[in-house]
Amino acid sequence: MSGPFHLIVTDTSPLITLALAEALDVLLRPSIPVSIPDAVYIEATRIRTAAGASRIVEWMNDHLDRVRIVPTEVGVDQQRRIEEGRTIRALGEQAALEVLERFMSSNPQAEALLLFEDSDIARRRAIVDERVSLISTGDFLRELEAARLIQSADYILEQAARSGRNVERQHQVTSDGDTRSRFRRQLQRTDDDPRTQ
Amino acid sequence: MEQTKATGEALGTQEREELLRGYASGTISWRELRQRGFADYVEVLAGLGEIGLRPPMAPMEGPSRSARERGRALLRRLLREAAKS
Repeated sequence: MSGPFHLIVTDTSPLITLALAEALDVLLRPSIPVSIPDAVYIEATRIRTAAGASRIVEWMNDHLDRVRIVPTEVGVDQQRRIEEGRTIRALGEQAALEVLERFMSSNPQAEALLLFEDSDIARRRAIVDERVSLISTGDFLRELEAARLIQSADYILEQAARSGRNVERQHQVTSDGDTRSRFRRQLQRTDDDPRTQ
Repeated sequence: MEQTKATGEALGTQEREELLRGYASGTISWRELRQRGFADYVEVLAGLGEIGLRPPMAPMEGPSRSARERGRALLRRLLREAAKS
């Protein structure tokens, strides 16, 4: 096969979908390095519901030889925005473009496969560079299904939605629990406070 | 674009469900959901799970079609080579 290939993850959604479906390993199936721009990684792992986030961190640590976080200028800007309490949305894609540019200019033989979210890929402008190919999460899973490496693309996507619902419910229960225990503590304090008696 | 609403939860239930149904059917993108107030993708998956839908798979059409076809062909080739080694 000609030239070094890289899979570049351009958005948080493929990572979160695969993490919740417990299927992140599918990204390793093509046996090429996986690059995750720092801004994508930060956005995916700092979300309030930690289930997907902790799976992503764990998975990355298990495969440091094949998956790497790529530092970018956009990532530096993202850190600044986080510190200033500003929105960090959609910086992942900008960071991915920075990674792509650096990767392509580093080697004239380099070829990149950009992993996109399905609903965004349909509206993308055409990529002119023949060394850059696009793939959506759905396309990726369909190819694995065709190669009989997974049983069903649909199943993985359904599993992600089902798991997301459970995570959200768990989050709500925890939030309700926190509220209840705070309320109980407050009542306790009120009972103990001589000023209220 | 700056966030206009705190989270997707700040949307009305009906509006939220309509957006999620639009997303699942491919008429609204994840980018648009973000602009309409969904804070993160877990929230989107959770919302889809609640109404019994799953994330969309994009049909092979649109301006990036040839780059996607190239991507699928490349992935197929890589998978074949990985299976051999």
